[in-house]
Amino acid sequence: MVKRGSLFLRILAISLIILLTAGCWNRRELDTLAIVSGTGIDKPEEPGKVQITVQIIKPGEMKAPQAGGGGEGGSGGQKPYWTVTATGDTVFDTIREMAHKSNRKLFFPHNEIIILGEDAAEEGVQKYLDFFARDHEPRWLAWVLVGKNTASEVLETKAELEKVPAISISKLIEARGATSEASAVTLHEFLTRLMSKTTAPVASLIEVSGQGKEKTALLTGTAVFKKDKLAGYLNKTETRGLLWVLNEIKSGIIDVECPGGKGKVSLEIIRARSKIIPEIKDNTLHLAVEIDEEGNLGSQMCSDDLTSESAWKTLEKNQAAVIHNEVMAALKKARELNTDIFGFGEAVHKKYPKLWKDIEDKWDEFFPNLEVAVIVDAKLRRSGLITKTVKPE
Amino acid sequence: MLQRIFKKIHVQQILNQNVQEKDSASPKVSQDNLSRDLKQNLKMLRNILGPSSDVVIREFSFGCEEKINAALIFLDGMTNKTIINESIIKPLMYHARLISPEELRPTNSIEIIKRTMLSVGEVKKVTPLEEAINDCLAGDTILLINGFHEALVVSTKGWEARSVEEPKTEAVVRGPREGFTETLRVNTALLRRKICNSNFILETLQLGQKTKTNVCIAYLMGVANPRLVEEVKSRLKRIKTDAILESGYIEEFIEDAPFSPFPTMANSEKPDVVAAKILEGRVAILVDGTPMVLTVPMVFIESFQSAEDYYSRPYYASLVRTLRFLAFLITITAPAAYVALTTFHQEFIPTPLLITMAAAREGTPFPAVAEALIMGTIFEILREAGVRLPRPIGSAISIVGALVIGESAVSAGLIGAPMVIVISLTAIASFVIPSQSDVAALARLILTILAGFLGAFGIIIGLLGGLIHLCALRSFGTPYFSPLSPLSLLDLKDVFFRVPMWAMLTRPRGIGWHDFKRQKWGLMPRPPRKNE
Repeated sequence: MVKRGSLFLRILAISLIILLTAGCWNRRELDTLAIVSGTGIDKPEEPGKVQITVQIIKPGEMKAPQAGGGGEGGSGGQKPYWTVTATGDTVFDTIREMAHKSNRKLFFPHNEIIILGEDAAEEGVQKYLDFFARDHEPRWLAWVLVGKNTASEVLETKAELEKVPAISISKLIEARGATSEASAVTLHEFLTRLMSKTTAPVASLIEVSGQGKEKTALLTGTAVFKKDKLAGYLNKTETRGLLWVLNEIKSGIIDVECPGGKGKVSLEIIRARSKIIPEIKDNTLHLAVEIDEEGNLGSQMCSDDLTSESAWKTLEKNQAAVIHNEVMAALKKARELNTDIFGFGEAVHKKYPKLWKDIEDKWDEFFPNLEVAVIVDAKLRRSGLITKTVKPE
Repeated sequence: MLQRIFKKIHVQQILNQNVQEKDSASPKVSQDNLSRDLKQNLKMLRNILGPSSDVVIREFSFGCEEKINAALIFLDGMTNKTIINESIIKPLMYHARLISPEELRPTNSIEIIKRTMLSVGEVKKVTPLEEAINDCLAGDTILLINGFHEALVVSTKGWEARSVEEPKTEAVVRGPREGFTETLRVNTALLRRKICNSNFILETLQLGQKTKTNVCIAYLMGVANPRLVEEVKSRLKRIKTDAILESGYIEEFIEDAPFSPFPTMANSEKPDVVAAKILEGRVAILVDGTPMVLTVPMVFIESFQSAEDYYSRPYYASLVRTLRFLAFLITITAPAAYVALTTFHQEFIPTPLLITMAAAREGTPFPAVAEALIMGTIFEILREAGVRLPRPIGSAISIVGALVIGESAVSAGLIGAPMVIVISLTAIASFVIPSQSDVAALARLILTILAGFLGAFGIIIGLLGGLIHLCALRSFGTPYFSPLSPLSLLDLKDVFFRVPMWAMLTRPRGIGWHDFKRQKWGLMPRPPRKNE
């Protein structure tokens, strides 16, 4: 009995020491956190400084106004977010600096987007992104975007369907699959490409449209980096060309001419797959991009019967041609900027590791003159609920 | 300080022992035998039984020529009056005349009376006074006849008892509805009716020096391990206490881990449950005066098995079984997980959920741990009140309770709404496993405190500690966490899922391994084969 008592005492003492000395040090209540939903990085006029804009969610204002709570007032007019801007010497310093403005500590794990202002991106992004890669709080799953305007401007736009602009932009990127005309790049992907010697990083491009209070943000293509500096932009068509090669096409609409030539036909992409195949023929390096695509007839603006075999075949041919053109457009732009956005270099590296050592350092000279064959196999599968279009017989 | 307390307890125990020894040697019940003189016997009895008002001493005479003085001693309320009137007094007073006077001579009359005149099932001849008195106190009637130093003890037990009713604690939708009662004999009969087998043994002991409570050990000879039966008996015989009022008393005296919060003996109110356990090779301990029957050995997963699992179809039974495990996990970890997530690991929570939870936390005054502990305590108070409250006031508790842990607490801004949901979920889940619900309440409290200090780390420490403890426990030689640890693949048939009856081929290993085969292989229903 006596022994049991002392054992109990010992356990009590040990657990008290463990709990009281080792516990609680990183305890944070939810109402002491400022949940950051989006971060913008800009280059201010003052040289050598960093301007950071964060969008903080105000959970209290996020609550949907209750049916009976109309009389309470106040919450209706308030924005459910707060956009704070601060300037400092380094990213980390600036973020800590915000403690003077926000009584709650900034909390980054739920940061969904990192917007780089055009000026900052042109200057080089390594110094800005280091913090986001190094610190344990921000996630590597955040989307990286380049704003054609300043990042703070993008974060100040109005979101119609979501309550917080940053979340709206994040959802915008997630919804890109419907058209596949905007790239979506997580911080992780961006950093991986940044660390590659040859592959050029890309990021979604976002623009602000509209005037005054009605400003909205929209995705308009892709920003292309050379090393860590912004080199140029791809428009929507070129972006889709890039995504065809990267095997990132989810869905989208391909417009082709009616075989009769009296209107347009929309074909919906159902499945797409692509492969990059490097090959050495006659002592020169060739690259083939094979694209397999399947589509459905989505809508037709002409009145012809497209279900005849000849018309169907023509449509398939046209479809392949459009895809081919899109890829070629992207390729042309990439050659212009001399940026290997497709990861051709990595493909060569994988297949010819020995050869790669020789050409690795000369890739910049190689790339613009690289022979790339684009082989598109496009099929048309179904015609929807009807076969012939709706018209009097 | 605790050592001192334990020392004191120890001293107290020694004192108690002394008291008991003195008590058992007290002169109240004499070791004397009966004398031949009725008057002296009655005087002795009066002396021993004292001034109790329920003792009835009926003196009378019988015989035709030579009157023989006799007396009946019984307890009013404990005896069946009809038997006494119709089967003892009436034959003696009327029918004694029909027997020839030669036969009814005082010298041999006690044997004649026992053999020919008492139309009662159970009559025995008793010489020691103490035995006669004990039987009388148990409801039998003593017949003393002048001139004999032997008494006839006639079984006339009969008292007001609760009838066999549906047990309140273990309700089933499908399955037998009868439950044990407070009378030992009724309970043994209920079991005997389930198991009509000569190997089904019921052994009775008397425990409690003052209460002399009948305690019955029930087991199936040939199936139960004889060493287990011996162990149960020897542990029961160790008990030297003055009173056994409920099977809980016995449980605490003979359990394997007296300091563990986990029960190592199962109890049930349902004869079918106890019968099933006996058929698995367990030993049941029935105590007079309570409908709660103990069964040993107990394993942890027994708490997750319900009688109905075996009466309903196996698919649904397996689903419900899994749900019970889930519910147990929820009831012990839900508040702790909520505290850990909201105060340490906000990055684990999906963004929309985090925003909702943060919105609910906005403006609440207490930290999440305090909230969880306050709400947990209030729930436990409400539960206790609900159990103890007289039924007519019961509805008041539910109304007030709904206010305290409900919308009002939230709208008053005292508690965040998610906490109310978490606590309610915990409460509902805790009712799913009634036999472990008190352990669950304790584990929940400890885990919540650990989570408040150390976050998810604390929860893991707590759960691991609990798991290690569970694996270390034994109940009457059977590992408490079996068949999971030590793993017995064959017995997994009745853990997370319940296989169909025709696939329950063996009894649980380590409990019924003595006679492991339950039925023969190949009982799955199927169309007859050609050569059959």
